[in-house]
Amino acid sequence: MFLLIAIIALTAMGKVFYLQVAEGGKWTRIAEEIGLRYRTVPATRGNIYSDNGSILATSLPFYRVAMDPTVADTEVYSKGLDSLANLLARFFKDQTATQYKRQINDARVSGRQYIILNKNLIKYPDKKIMAQWPIFREGRNKGGIIFEKVDRRVRPFSYLGYRTIGFINENQQGAGLEFSFNDHLAGKDGSALFQRISGGRWKPVYDGTEVKPIDGYDLQTTINVNIQDVSEAALLQALVEHDAEYGCVVVMEVKTGEIKSISNLSKSGGKGRYREVFNYAVQGLNDPGSTFKLFSMMALLEETPMRLSDSIDTGNGQYKYYNSVMRDHKPGGYGKITMREAFEISSNIAISRKIQDYFGHNPQRFIDYLKEIGLGSPLGFQITGEGNPKIKDPKDKSWSGITLPWMSIGYELELTPLQVLTFYNAIANNGALVRPILVKSVKKADRNIENYHADVIKRRICSSSTLKQIQQLLEGVVERGTAQNIKNAHYKIAGKTGTAQRIKDGRYSRSYYTSFVGYFPADKPKYSCIVIIDDPKGFRQYGSNVAAPVFKEIADKIYSIDLRMHAPWMVSKPEDQALPVIRAGYRDDLDLICKNLKIPVEDRPTDPWVITQAKNQYVTYENNDIIPGIVPNVAGMSLRDALFILENQGLRVNYRGNGRVVDQSQKPGSKALKGSTIYITLS
Amino acid sequence: MNIALKSWADRNLKGDPILWAIVFLLSVISVLVVYSSTETLAYKSMRGNTEHYLFRHGFLILLSLIAMWLAHRVDYRYYSRISTLALWVSVPLLMYTWLFGTRLNEASRWLTIPLIDTSFQPSDLAKLALITHLAAMLSKRQQNINDIKETLIPVLMWTGVICGLIAMSNVSTAVLLFSTSMIVLFIGRVPVHYLFMLMLVGLLAGGVAFKIGERGDTVINRVKDFVNPQEIPYQAKQSYIAIAKGGITGKGPGNSDQKDFLPHPYSDFIFSIIVEEYGVIGGTFTILLYLALLYRSMLAASKSENAFGGLLAAGLSVALVIQAMINVCVSVGLLPITGLPLPLISMGGTSLLFTGLAVGIIISVSRGETDQIKTGFRGGNTFKRAAA
Repeated sequence: MFLLIAIIALTAMGKVFYLQVAEGGKWTRIAEEIGLRYRTVPATRGNIYSDNGSILATSLPFYRVAMDPTVADTEVYSKGLDSLANLLARFFKDQTATQYKRQINDARVSGRQYIILNKNLIKYPDKKIMAQWPIFREGRNKGGIIFEKVDRRVRPFSYLGYRTIGFINENQQGAGLEFSFNDHLAGKDGSALFQRISGGRWKPVYDGTEVKPIDGYDLQTTINVNIQDVSEAALLQALVEHDAEYGCVVVMEVKTGEIKSISNLSKSGGKGRYREVFNYAVQGLNDPGSTFKLFSMMALLEETPMRLSDSIDTGNGQYKYYNSVMRDHKPGGYGKITMREAFEISSNIAISRKIQDYFGHNPQRFIDYLKEIGLGSPLGFQITGEGNPKIKDPKDKSWSGITLPWMSIGYELELTPLQVLTFYNAIANNGALVRPILVKSVKKADRNIENYHADVIKRRICSSSTLKQIQQLLEGVVERGTAQNIKNAHYKIAGKTGTAQRIKDGRYSRSYYTSFVGYFPADKPKYSCIVIIDDPKGFRQYGSNVAAPVFKEIADKIYSIDLRMHAPWMVSKPEDQALPVIRAGYRDDLDLICKNLKIPVEDRPTDPWVITQAKNQYVTYENNDIIPGIVPNVAGMSLRDALFILENQGLRVNYRGNGRVVDQSQKPGSKALKGSTIYITLS
Repeated sequence: MNIALKSWADRNLKGDPILWAIVFLLSVISVLVVYSSTETLAYKSMRGNTEHYLFRHGFLILLSLIAMWLAHRVDYRYYSRISTLALWVSVPLLMYTWLFGTRLNEASRWLTIPLIDTSFQPSDLAKLALITHLAAMLSKRQQNINDIKETLIPVLMWTGVICGLIAMSNVSTAVLLFSTSMIVLFIGRVPVHYLFMLMLVGLLAGGVAFKIGERGDTVINRVKDFVNPQEIPYQAKQSYIAIAKGGITGKGPGNSDQKDFLPHPYSDFIFSIIVEEYGVIGGTFTILLYLALLYRSMLAASKSENAFGGLLAAGLSVALVIQAMINVCVSVGLLPITGLPLPLISMGGTSLLFTGLAVGIIISVSRGETDQIKTGFRGGNTFKRAAA
C-alpha cells in the first residue's frame, strides 16, 4: 500500500521535473503570450452642476466597437454576416459593406479573437441600436460583440468658467473644482482580468473575479450660468477694449456667500485673445491698492476718536514720508478736505496721514486690528491653492518708516481679489463675515452625501455705527466720488475704486492694477462683486474708468435678470376692455376662439405666433418672431404657450402667479443662454 | 529552553512525536502559502486587507491543532461507538445539503452554520464517520468475514449510501471516499470477489448520481478536457506555468505571479503555488512529509494491539494521503481537474477541523490503549502484513 502511494508521489515529482525541464520553455512562452494581467476598470467621474442643475462638466460614455468573430456559431454567423456588414458600412460610412465583410471573415478564418471594427467611438444610443444588429444581438458570449467603454469629459458650456471648473490630468495634477474635489468626483476604480492581444490592446477575460468600479459623486456648485455668462462677456469686452494683461470677476451672493460667477481671463496669443489659464480671483495675490482704504477707515473709526467730518490738509498733492513722496491723483492737490471727501475721492495723502497720526507711534495696533477682523489669514476656500495673504508685521526686517502710510493705502501687502471681496461682502451683509462657498453639496444621484453651508467666520466685523458710516462712504464713492460715472437712476451701487501702481524692477511703474469692488442694490444688498483689470493700455488707466464700468455692466445685467430685486415692468394694458383679454399666443388657437366668439379679425400676419391688439371692434394680429437663440417676448401669453416657447429656446422657466404673462426676467431680444433660468410672472 | 520544550511536549503531546512534527511542519507551510496566495482574494473581497485571511486561516489552523490534541487524548476505541451515531447524523445532513445547501461554483456542498456563519461541508463529517465505522465493523467481524449477511450487507449499504449521497454534489470526493473504503475493506481482509461486488454497487450509485445529481456534466467535461490533450483548460495551463516557472529553488515566499490567475490558488491549486514559490525542493519536501505521515501511520497501525486501531489508522491515513496525492496529481496534470483541497495545507473552513480530527485519531492509535474499556473486538491485529 505504502509502496503504491510512494510510486504515485514519485510520478508526480517526475511530472514536475518534466514540466520544468522538458516543457519549461514552452510554458514560459505561453505565459508571455497569454499576457494576463489585472487592469483597472476606471470609475465614471461625477458631474459638476450649476446652481439650478445645469451640467457644467460631465463624463459621457463612448464606446469602441470591437468583436470576437470566432464566437458566433456557423448558422448565426453565415445568416447575419451580410446584413451586419451592410449596417456597419451604413453607420460608419468609411468602408464598404464588402470591406467590412472581408475584415470580419478574415479574422474568423484565421482565428483572431479580437478585431476593432472602427476606431471611431460611438455614443450610448448608437450602442443600444447596434446591440440589436444581427450576430451582435446574440450578445458577448454567443455573438462576440465587444463594446469597450471609454469616458470623455464634456463641458456643455465649453469655456464658461473654465478655470474654476478646472481639470485634472493623468499625473493627478490640475486646477479648479475638478482638482480640488477630485476625491469626491473620481470614485473608486475597479479591476478585472485582461488578456493582452495583438496590437497592444487588452481584452477583458470574464472569469468572475471582476471588482466593479464605484462611480464618483456629483458636485452641486453655486455657479449661476446666467451670471457667469454675463460676467465673462463683460470682462472679455473690457479686456479687449483696454488691451489689458488679465482680468477677473467674482460675483457673490451677499447673504449666503455663494459664488455666483468666477471668471479669469488672461491675454494669450496676440491682441484680443483671452483664455482662462490662471485663477487670479482665488490665487492671484496683489497689492490691492485703494480698495484697501476701506480697512484703514474702519481702523480709524473703530480704534480712534476720528470722525468723518474731521478735516485734513492734503496740501498741493505731494507729501513726503522720509525720502519717499506720496502723491494724490489730482495734480496740485485737493487742499483741505474732510475725511468723508478724502475717502470718496480716494486721497492717498489724507488717509495715510491720518493713519500715521493715530497709529504711527504704535503700528502694531493697526496690524493687530487688521488681523483681528480676519484679514491676515486665508479664507479656507474650497478650491485648492488659495493665496495666503501677506501682511507685514512691525517686527519684520522689511518693515520701515514708510511701511505704515503706504500700507494704509493698499501697498506693501498682498491680498487676493476673493479675499477683498469677502470683506466688502461683510459690509453689505450687516457686518457678518461669511466664508465664500462654491460647492453646495456632494451628491450621488439625488442623495446628498455631504453638504456645505456658508460659515459665518465673524458675526460682526465692526460696530454698527462704524458699519453705517462705512456703507455711507461706499455709497458716496458712487454718488459723488471716483465712481460717479457708474451712478444710475434705477438702483444704487456702493463700492470703491482701486488703482495700484505695479512695481517693476523695484519701482512703481506706469502700469496699473485697476479694480472696483462693491455691492448692489446699496439699500438692500443682494450681490457683491469685484472686478480686476490688470495693466490697461491707453489713456484710461484707473479703477474708475476701467474696472467700474465693467462692474456696472454686470450689475445692470444681473439686475435685469433677477426679478426679485426690482419692481416689475408692466406691459401696457390694452386701452379697450370691450374685447376679451387675449394678448398673445398661437395664431390657430386665437383664430378658433375669435371665430367661435364671432369677433372680427383683421387677418394680416403669417407667423404661427402673434401678438394681438384690440382696435375699435377688431382684433389685429402682429407677428411675434421667435428666433432661435434670442429671448422671445412672451408677454400676454398663457402659461402653456409661454412654457412651450421658452423651453424650446432651452431656457428653464420659473413662474409665479396665474393668468397671463405680465413680466419676464430676461428681456425680449437679448441672447438666450441655454440652461439659464427665466422668471416669469403671471397675473 | 530546548529541554523545557521537550518536557512540555512529553507531558502534553502523547503518541508518535514524529507525527506531531510532520503536522507542525505542514501547518507552517500552510500558513506561509495561504498568506501569499490569498493576496488576490484579499484585494478583491477584503479591499486589500491581506491580513484578514492570514488571521482567519491562522485561527483555523490553531483550531484544527486543538481538535487534533483533543482527539489524541481520547482512547481510539471510543470512536467506534461515536462513528455509528455520526454516520446516522450525516445522512440527513448530506441530503439537506444536496437539496438546500449553499451553492458555490454551481455545486451545493456547503451548509452555512447559523450563529457562527461558517460554511460546513457535511461530506467531511461523513467521510470520517464512514471510515471509522468500516474499521469498527470489519474488526468486529474478522471471524466471519466471509458471511454475506453479517458482514457484507451492512458494509455495502453504508458505503453505497454515503458515497452516493456525496456524489450528488461532489463526484471527486465520492470517488475518493469510495476508493479509500475499498482499500480499508481490502486491508480488513474482505475477500476480493466481494470487493468486485462493491465496485458494482459503486458504479450503480455513480450512475444514479450522474442522472439525478447536479455535477454529471462537469465530470464529463473535465474528463473530456483531460483525455483530449488539444485543449488544455485554463486552470491547468496556469498551473503548468506556475510549476514551470518555479525552477529548483522557486521564486521565494510571496513572489508567485500565477496566484493572480489561478482560480482557488489557496486550495485546489495550492501545490502549484508551493512549487512556484519554493521550487522543486519545496514541492518534494511537501510530498515527503505526506509520505512520512503515511509511513508513521502505517507503523502505528501495525503496532496497534487490536484490529480496530490498525484499520482505523490505516484507513484514515490512506484517505488523507490519497487526497493529497490526487491534489498534487491534478496540479501537475496527471489527473483531470477536481475540487479536492490539499489536506492540512489548503485554506478552508471546517475541512481543516475534520482533517485535524482525523490526524488526532491516528495519533491516538499510535498511543495505544490507555483506558480499560470493554470492547467487542475479537482477536489481535491480524493484518500487519497487509499494511506493510
